[in-house]
Amino acid sequence: MIQAVMVISTQAKPRLLKFYNFQPPEKHQDLVRSVFQLLSARPDSVSNFVEVDSIFGPGTKMVYKHLATLYFVFVFDSSENELAMLDLVQVFVETLDRCFKNVCELDIVFNFNKSHAMRLDDNSLEGEGPRTLVNHIKQDCRSSSRVTWSPTFRSCVSSCYDDSDVLLTSHSCLAPINLMQMHTILDEMILGGQVIETSSEEIMKSVEEIARLEKQSSTTSLIPKSISERFSR
Amino acid sequence: MALSGMRGLSVFISDIRNCHNKEQERLRVDKELGNIRTRFKNEKGLSPYEKKKYVWKMLYIYMLGYDVDFGHMETVSLISAPKYPEKQVGYIVTSCLLNENNDFLRMVINTVRNDIIGRNETFQCLALTMVGNIGGKEFSESLAPDVQKLLISSSCRPVVRKKAALCLLRLYRKNPDVVNIDGWADRMAQLLDERDLGVLTSVMSLFVSLVSNNAEAYWNCLPKCVRILERLARNQDIPQEYTYYGIPSPWLQVKTMRALQYFPTIEDPNARRALFEVLQRILMGTDVVKNVNKNNASHAVLFEALALVMHLDAEKEMMSQCVALLGKFIAVREPNIRYLGLENMTRMLLVTDVQDIIKRHQAQIITSLKDPDISIRRRALDLLYGMCDVTNAKEIVEELLQYLNTAEFAMREELSLKAAILAEKFAPDLSWYVDVILQLIDKAGDFVSDDIWYRVVQFVTNNEDLQSYAAAKAREYLDKPALHETMVKVSAYLLGEYGHLLARRPGSSPKELFAIINDKLPTVSTSTVAILLSTYAKILMHTQPPDAGLQQQILTIFKKYESYIDVEIQQRAVEYFELSRKGPALADVLAEMPKFPERESALLKKAEDAEIDTAEQSAIKLRSQQQTSSALVVADHPPANGSAPPANHLTLVKMPSQNVSEIQESGATYEEVPNPPIEVPKENGTPVEVESKATNITEINNEINVEPPSTSRSTSPADLLADLLGPLAIEGPPAIEQHPAQGLDANQSPVGDLALATLEDQSNAVQPIVNVEEKFHILCTKDSGVLYEDPHIQIGLKAEWRAHHGRLVLFLGNKNTSPLMSVRALILPPSHLKMELSSVPDTIPPRAQVQVPLEVANLRASRDVAVLDFSYNFGAALVDAKLRLPVVLNKFLQPITLTPEEFFPQWKALTVHSLKVQEVVKGVKPMPLAEIANLFMSLHLAVAPGLDNNSNNLVACTTFFSEATRAMLCLIRVETDPQDRTQLRLTVASGDQYLTFELKEFIKEHLIDIPRTQAAPRPAPIQPQLPAVAPATYNDPAAAMLAGLL
Repeated sequence: MIQAVMVISTQAKPRLLKFYNFQPPEKHQDLVRSVFQLLSARPDSVSNFVEVDSIFGPGTKMVYKHLATLYFVFVFDSSENELAMLDLVQVFVETLDRCFKNVCELDIVFNFNKSHAMRLDDNSLEGEGPRTLVNHIKQDCRSSSRVTWSPTFRSCVSSCYDDSDVLLTSHSCLAPINLMQMHTILDEMILGGQVIETSSEEIMKSVEEIARLEKQSSTTSLIPKSISERFSR
Repeated sequence: MALSGMRGLSVFISDIRNCHNKEQERLRVDKELGNIRTRFKNEKGLSPYEKKKYVWKMLYIYMLGYDVDFGHMETVSLISAPKYPEKQVGYIVTSCLLNENNDFLRMVINTVRNDIIGRNETFQCLALTMVGNIGGKEFSESLAPDVQKLLISSSCRPVVRKKAALCLLRLYRKNPDVVNIDGWADRMAQLLDERDLGVLTSVMSLFVSLVSNNAEAYWNCLPKCVRILERLARNQDIPQEYTYYGIPSPWLQVKTMRALQYFPTIEDPNARRALFEVLQRILMGTDVVKNVNKNNASHAVLFEALALVMHLDAEKEMMSQCVALLGKFIAVREPNIRYLGLENMTRMLLVTDVQDIIKRHQAQIITSLKDPDISIRRRALDLLYGMCDVTNAKEIVEELLQYLNTAEFAMREELSLKAAILAEKFAPDLSWYVDVILQLIDKAGDFVSDDIWYRVVQFVTNNEDLQSYAAAKAREYLDKPALHETMVKVSAYLLGEYGHLLARRPGSSPKELFAIINDKLPTVSTSTVAILLSTYAKILMHTQPPDAGLQQQILTIFKKYESYIDVEIQQRAVEYFELSRKGPALADVLAEMPKFPERESALLKKAEDAEIDTAEQSAIKLRSQQQTSSALVVADHPPANGSAPPANHLTLVKMPSQNVSEIQESGATYEEVPNPPIEVPKENGTPVEVESKATNITEINNEINVEPPSTSRSTSPADLLADLLGPLAIEGPPAIEQHPAQGLDANQSPVGDLALATLEDQSNAVQPIVNVEEKFHILCTKDSGVLYEDPHIQIGLKAEWRAHHGRLVLFLGNKNTSPLMSVRALILPPSHLKMELSSVPDTIPPRAQVQVPLEVANLRASRDVAVLDFSYNFGAALVDAKLRLPVVLNKFLQPITLTPEEFFPQWKALTVHSLKVQEVVKGVKPMPLAEIANLFMSLHLAVAPGLDNNSNNLVACTTFFSEATRAMLCLIRVETDPQDRTQLRLTVASGDQYLTFELKEFIKEHLIDIPRTQAAPRPAPIQPQLPAVAPATYNDPAAAMLAGLL
């Protein structure tokens, strides 16, 4: 069973926390901190598995992926296959990647954390022009060798060189969408600690449908009786 | 998108991000929380949209780590909103913020149910997701039928059905009754025919959970699983979106193979053949490719296939193919694969007979110990630990010691514990063992627990050949400039005992020894100072001819510590000072330590405990469960193959005479044994005070001086073997039994012992190598330990007690490399116990351990004892042992503390003669009151100090549980006579006359000092035809020694 899903920035800020075994809220930050400590101590090119018996109880492990400035972490017990979990992280990342291309492709991987991190945590950058910021991101992209870029994602990165304004204008207002979208995606993928959907396409369909429903309801109060059509292949 | 219009939320989030420090962030959050709180208070004015906005904010704040302790009501109420966006937010935030026991959740069960049974699929999905994430028992009760209906309904969309499957899984976990096994086996089989892979993945998760609890019921699904696997492996009819990097849903493949691991075997030849074909294809067809993700996916399938092959006990050929693959994996560059390769190799060790093939990879595994990744290093350490046996112990332990130099702190403790255990288990010779442990202490003193150095002292004490060697080693270490305190302790101890053996070596004269040890004195802690003082006293004694200068120095130190703040040290100093002026008498008192009784290693116990803690319900471990009916085969420890079973068990019967001669011999040279309490010099030195000091057992004594000395057994490597095989090692017996100065048979409770000292048929070729009777008595006051052991089998026992119920687990460990056949175990319960023994497998595989649970219910009070009739065939010989089970009266007692206000009314209320019984007990073992209190404590009688004004009296309370009496309060009073400690007056009161009588007799049995040879054996209930009593008595070393002394 999957026990927790966490997305933590390299600045140790939680971006998404979901526990499938109830954890009292006061413990959350401790968990994030101890997980982050383990992760930040790990160099590149080591395995993606860490035993976390001391944090989440006996027999638990976590897999993580370090992409740009985010750690995607899945915690699970011995009833799951380690590599399958790693694949699942990849599906999650790819789905997020696809999902945000309509808004701003860079959103999840950059805006949500990187630009934020730079502006907040590196005061010297304050007041510098957009160009510098993008350069920093470019550098970061190059330096994080462990990132496995999906095709869409690669094109986003290249587009960001040319159009830095997209990056800068979009980041501040997108957070709420991220939060909800990430939760929605996760709910479509994992339910009660079990994998429910492994196909990125299927998850996308559901997410798009939800977005459509939202839009609809903001203009009309009618709720469709059946939404079967969205699943017709 | 709709939400981007949420201006306030966006502003809030960007505000938070613009905060430069935590303080600012907190201020901003508090402001927002205050705002939300006021808005919620006048709820009437809130539009659903606003409510939604605030709930989102709450979620965001919650995620930042702030406690959001209000607004739950508003969140939950959004679930009832008619519009989708509000409902969605309500469901999502509820499942993040609330836990299953939240009261507000109960309020929406109906709404949730309406959403589930309603026609709107989107709402169904939302509701199922929420219940699947946080649904509790109440949801389970009211929603399960509806969820089941959705799952099997053919008109539902896949998106709903897959959620229903996992939702049902959650409900099933909360309340297993929701799935009726009979009906579900067929339904499950139908569900597994599902074509939609999304639904199938969820259904498979549900299936795994059902099967893991009851594989028997789902046999009919097995062929379906194989078919699914075939379909996936052959890539038949797999939609594009379910192939992941070209591999047909690796998750479903993995889950399906997991499910198959819960079935004990696959009997259907067709299914088996088909399955092996698929597995073969997976094993052969997986290559390492460039694309990392593809690699991961294909290897996820491959590793699961490996696990399944191991489980199915495939042909030797396929097994060695697996080991070969694993050997390849642990050498590849990709760290994930290396990690899993090591992990699976460790599993392989447990399951099959492939150790030899694995040993070929030892060099590579040792290299992994230096991997940059700590996860991999840990796995390598585990594997090395698992694969270690006598043949490679030296190499592996030395490698571990070397690694200790560079290992990070996080691993050192585990590492040193493992090294110590391996050294103890597999030591090819004892001097090597001493070397290893001393090195260990030197390199990682902080991580070496006391158990480790106590153990080395025990070995050295029990092995004369080792003594001068160990002393010399200790002397060498003392030359090092910086020494860990543990090293100071162990060196000082060893040199105190055996330093005189080195006297002729350079730098080891008493004077020099003293000087070098005394150098450490200023820097050590109190516990070490105490040891050093003893060492000085011993050095002083061994200095022949006496050296006035040295004596003066040492006396000065004693003098100095006479007023030391720590009582223990003060006492030692005073006593040693006095003793050292007594001249020759000193030698008697400070004679060498007697040998320690053979005892299970506390270290190994620790290790075993740790293993038990982490034993979880993984398929790998569970698989064995089915192999041997209800018994569980757990990891076995490869025994030291080479060494033969100890021979000295044969001498058990001859012991008395042997003892006498030994004592006579040794008496001529130095007192090695006869006067028991040599260990506690100060008590001997001041014999008059012995009793009052009985409780004053010093720290070191506490550890080492526990049982009456037994000369009959020296610890040979073979004993070590016996030791290490124990699933539950025993530490010293509890405090009451240990005072050597008082009656040698403190260890024995009088009645009934003789009956079963050795109940074996005298014709048995196989004799127990432990003192069965002694083990029984230890187990009477402890809940885990060894019950019986002979060269072929060890029977351990672990018990848990709750009120009048008990659950025992017998651990039957086969010590041999060949299986034990025709294993039979039969319980002969006395009439007052209801006992139910799970079935015992007919065969115990080589070096495997089988666990057999035994349920006990106590009907009423009685002192009768249940007997386990245990037999097995080893080769042609039938071995039969009748063992008393330590299901005794005190196991059903629970100590209870009463205040005087509670006690006296009860005491006075019980006036009826038969309910309150008084007896003057004569022939009591003379014990100080404190010791009686200890004895009571170990019998689960809570001593209540201060209830009785007379300091010679003792009052205790306890609760007795049985089916007849339920919980029954029992009160006990003991009045002792300070003039004559051999008699006392015992009063027992309870609400049940039978109980009163039995309890009184029971306590009496433990108080009375019955000369063992004369005791009339209380007829054991089931065993009237007992073997001759006489030899049995000599099985007890203490009694034997008494006989020797007389």
